Amino acid sequence: MLSNKQLETVSEAPQIKKSSGKRLLLVGNPNSGKSTLFNALTGLNQRIGNFPGVTVEKKTGQLKLGQEKLEVVDLPGTYSLVPRSEDEKVTYEYLIDQNRNDKEEIVVIIADASSLKRNLLLVTQMIDLEYPTILVLNMMDIVERNKQKIDIAGLERELGVPVIPMNARLGKGVSKLKTRIETFDYIPAPKVIERHEEKNQLKNTVDRFKRIKEILAKTYHADGPAKTAESTRKIDKIFTHSVWGFVIFLFILFLIFQAIFSWSTYPMDWIENGFLVFGNWLGGALPEGILNDLLVEGVLAGLGGIVIFIPQIALLFMFIAILEDTGYLARVSYLTDTVLKRFGLNGRSIIPLLGGAACAVPAIMSARTISNKKERLLTIFVTPLISCSARIPVYTLLIALVIPAEKQLLGFNLQGIVMMALYLLGFVAALGTAMLLKYWVKTEERSHFIMELPIYRMPRWKNVGMTIYNKVKVFLFEAGKIIIAVSIVLWVLSSYGPGNKMEAIEQKYEQIEQDPSQELSLTQDQIASEKLEASYAGHIGKFIEPAIRPLGFDWKIGISIITSFAAREVFVGTMATLYSVGDEENTTSIKEKMARATHPSTGEKVYTKATGYSLLIFYAFALQCMATVAIVVKETGGWKWPILQLVYMGALAYFASLLVFQVFS
Amino acid sequence: MNLASCKIGDQVTLEKILDEQLTVQLYSMGCIIGERITLERVAPFGEPMIIRVEDSFISLRKNDAENMIVKQ
Ligand SMILES: Nc1nc2c(ncn2[C@@H]2O[C@H](COP(=O)(O)OP(=O)(O)OP(=O)(O)O)[C@@H](O)[C@H]2O)c(=O)[nH]1
Ligand SMILES: [Mg+2]
Repeated sequence: MLSNKQLETVSEAPQIKKSSGKRLLLVGNPNSGKSTLFNALTGLNQRIGNFPGVTVEKKTGQLKLGQEKLEVVDLPGTYSLVPRSEDEKVTYEYLIDQNRNDKEEIVVIIADASSLKRNLLLVTQMIDLEYPTILVLNMMDIVERNKQKIDIAGLERELGVPVIPMNARLGKGVSKLKTRIETFDYIPAPKVIERHEEKNQLKNTVDRFKRIKEILAKTYHADGPAKTAESTRKIDKIFTHSVWGFVIFLFILFLIFQAIFSWSTYPMDWIENGFLVFGNWLGGALPEGILNDLLVEGVLAGLGGIVIFIPQIALLFMFIAILEDTGYLARVSYLTDTVLKRFGLNGRSIIPLLGGAACAVPAIMSARTISNKKERLLTIFVTPLISCSARIPVYTLLIALVIPAEKQLLGFNLQGIVMMALYLLGFVAALGTAMLLKYWVKTEERSHFIMELPIYRMPRWKNVGMTIYNKVKVFLFEAGKIIIAVSIVLWVLSSYGPGNKMEAIEQKYEQIEQDPSQELSLTQDQIASEKLEASYAGHIGKFIEPAIRPLGFDWKIGISIITSFAAREVFVGTMATLYSVGDEENTTSIKEKMARATHPSTGEKVYTKATGYSLLIFYAFALQCMATVAIVVKETGGWKWPILQLVYMGALAYFASLLVFQVFS
Repeated sequence: MNLASCKIGDQVTLEKILDEQLTVQLYSMGCIIGERITLERVAPFGEPMIIRVEDSFISLRKNDAENMIVKQ
């Protein structure tokens, strides 16, 4: 990180320009609408949200202007050219990268016109560093609502760069920007201020604001305080209230929980039945044989297990998108800072932690906005303990399996209580772990919680809809790809075995069947399960069984735990495949098949309450996600932390499950 | 007087910032010497707080507010 002394001493813009196309760099303060404009220019769907620090990495897209194809780069927001945190550093390092001189570049600075003074700081810094600049004044709708008046031509004259008013949300001004880009010809603007290298660098910033005030005196007029700020203040009287603020937050969490785990059961039942009907139809319609088995028992069983969770995933992401779009998340940061501080975290940590309920991977990346290295590291370390959307299928299936739907505790549905307890457990474990690490990780660095709270905005339903659509698509196709691959491999591994054991079993049963003296009490199920045990998958499972036996797990669960490393939701697909192989009439759901499963040696049920609870706890704690490990390697710059995390969470899962199994059995 | 000792609703002028790192951060967010600041909210346990600078709302912790010298 740069020292403070380097404020404004950034080297000047890269000089050499070969003209093999153009590149637009979208730069600006956090939350000024860069990604909204990026989406409007490129037609892509970058994440947008109403809080500072949504974009934390460089994203590239393409813009077609007539014959020309331009590269467009969306960068994390930054207040100035002194990076305070990792996300701002991305922008800073990209801007000063002297090696990137393959294309002619135009810096499009997006300024929030409704707080022009603050936004002009970065603008004038960029102009003085001689970056070819176009200034976009975004949020003109808010400027209008606030009755603020901006003299565009005057500003153009004062700054010496093109200025384009815009409403990026509605796409107003985008075509004007495109035209301006086509005709853009860089004429160096006069320096806004004379920088004095020898002066205290902060003085330069003071000089800059002095000059900005002079410019605004000529070009900007406002009647009193902004209306949007006033209404935000009023809303905050409730939402950040010392008592009501917390009540509202808990109520919102409860509402989300209810929606995901209670309202969604209806569509889930429809999907489940639909898949059964379709599977049976397909099994009957296709010619008998290996392909039929592979499709119906392997792929369809695996996929059906996951598709039914779409309603829950969609609801979860709908709520997250709404929270992100309104500006409420920044208030949650404010409310939770004091508590999180005691655990070595920061109010900003709540955004990764809440995001972790969706998926730990982007959540861990969003920890980049936490400037204190220790707080960031702790946040990264504990985020995977928050129950993510991939655990939803596992929890839902297991809870339905071991807890009767009608069972009540203190008047509440027991299934719901256990589900909530799992989420709480994850959160408590995250805080507890942070507490432990707090004493272990040392830092000299000071910690701040200096964050801008954006004005409240209405969520845009189109954006919410797009988010749901994209997330469901990713869930289906990314998870679906893994599930299909795992299902196929697993189906092969469990349909074939080493040597000729499988054939031996078949022969044995054929003999039994033909021998009239034997009673024909052996069911198809028993043959299938004996064959499964003799298969390759059976051998692998049996090999690890001793290690997980004390937790109440059998070898099939062992296999699911292994395959779950690809992604946790694979658990359901694995179970579906393992219990479908050899099942001639595929008429029951996975849940029913698992409910019927017994230990072959003892005849006892496999999924007792003890095993079910133990397995739930295991999935709540274990870091069974390759993507998370990969992102932690990337974000922490090495293998030390991810390995520590893997071992720690693994041990936590193992011993917690052991305890739970012993208590309940 | 420092900002931490102000009451909710107080409007003050920023006179001096005692910490350099804090100065850099606040300056880049448009909160400079001479600016009018309103203390909007204080969370339970005395921090964090929300201040208003022109039309922006910024959150701060107590130790940072203590480093901000203000006058009525
Ligand atoms: N009213 C209004 N809101 C806008 C406009 N442009 C963007 N927004 C909203 O402003 C918020 C921030 O938009 P983003 O595009 O995520 O901002 P960003 O600059 O990429 O933010 P970071 O990635 O955090 O730096 C979102 O809630 C947008 O919907 C606009 O022209 N008018
Ligand atoms: Mg962005």
